[in-house]
Amino acid sequence: MDNSKDKIHVIIAARHILYRLGIKTILNVIGIEPELIEADSWDMIKSLQEKSDYEFVIISEEILPDPKLQHLESLKCSDENCSIMIINDGSSEEADYPCLSLDTENKKDIIERFQHFFFNNQSDEANSTTDKSVLSFREIDVLKAVATGASNKEIADMLFISINTVITHRKNITEKLGIKTIAGLTVYAIMNKFISPDEVTR
Amino acid sequence: MELTSRLINKDLLFSLNTQMADVIHRNYGLIPIISRFGINFGFGNKTIYEVCAENNINVRFFLEIVNSFHNPQYFPKKQLQTFPSALIIQYLSNTHKYYLKSKVPEIIGYINKMKELASDDNLKNIELIDNFFREYKNELEKHLANEDSRVFPYIMSLEEALETMDFNADLIDHIRNDSIEKYERNHGNLEEKLSDLKNLLIKFLPPVVSTEICQHLLTELFRLESDLENHTRIEEKVLVPRVKLLEQKVLESCG
Repeated sequence: MDNSKDKIHVIIAARHILYRLGIKTILNVIGIEPELIEADSWDMIKSLQEKSDYEFVIISEEILPDPKLQHLESLKCSDENCSIMIINDGSSEEADYPCLSLDTENKKDIIERFQHFFFNNQSDEANSTTDKSVLSFREIDVLKAVATGASNKEIADMLFISINTVITHRKNITEKLGIKTIAGLTVYAIMNKFISPDEVTR
Repeated sequence: MELTSRLINKDLLFSLNTQMADVIHRNYGLIPIISRFGINFGFGNKTIYEVCAENNINVRFFLEIVNSFHNPQYFPKKQLQTFPSALIIQYLSNTHKYYLKSKVPEIIGYINKMKELASDDNLKNIELIDNFFREYKNELEKHLANEDSRVFPYIMSLEEALETMDFNADLIDHIRNDSIEKYERNHGNLEEKLSDLKNLLIKFLPPVVSTEICQHLLTELFRLESDLENHTRIEEKVLVPRVKLLEQKVLESCG
């Protein structure tokens, strides 16, 4: 199944590859599996944005040409639905944009910052447009597996994600639906025709 | 005058001199609790004290139970722990009967009616709800049966042993290997299932033709849930600590 158009689209923009890899790792930790494009220059960001819509841009401050704020604005203007997060050294604050300071030492803080950036934005958007209880395609994959009786380990192997990511997805599914038990999730999955009753092996 | 003070002090606790009829007037949610004690309607203007005396009910125990149901903030753990185990157990078993003989069949009745009246395309969904509740019911039955047939008799044998100072090896064995601590506890899953069922009905079941029945069903699920919460609270906060104490006493007594 091609889910790419339902995935969220993210640009990671930073000059150095190690930097970008680090951000990718964090996205994995918080359970986001976006359609992801890396950019290592300002021109590349601009050309990417022209080709397609990106909901999230994580941008390292060093990649912005001067005057930085003005360039940021231009990014925002070209696509209103785009959320931007800036990673900087903490010395300057680009007003109105979520920031992650590089001197954040605590891993937990960093992860929370990212979670806030992705999930809060998502729910704001959801509030205004669609139902909050709508699951993402990846969550539906996990839900299907849970409902047919797979363990976290089995789901992780099946979907090529870490067990932690499985747990995060499950937590989000339960929060969105208000359903905690496997039996309840199974009923939901069948009701919504994500799985057929014969697939339930219990 | 009477009426206004009654309205203002809605959460006021009931006392020996409260009229039994006023208990129900103030909180009709207490109807099943009163009947659980074996009290029938028709008590005229008699007070709680009088009605309990007539029905051979420990009035202090009655008051603590009714008040703790009425006002969730009021939970006299210490007082409740002073009552004999037999009294608490009798109340809990009566509650079990109420769940199994009255509440659960009532809920099944509503689900069956919804099935009867369902449109063709929604029938499958209501059958899913039906299966889900039956699964819950089986778990609940198993849980309650285990309490009735194993846990409660065990508690009574602890009381008896302390009374007669006759400690047999089986009992000591039971305390050492299968103490009440192990029995704390799998209420969690039962509560989660009930809450899931509510959400499935409220949020996800496509609208049914029989809306009124669905509303009744939902209301009964909420009632069952709050009754079970109270029940669990008594088991976990009153019975279990008391039994731990008994176990300890038995072990001390026989060295």
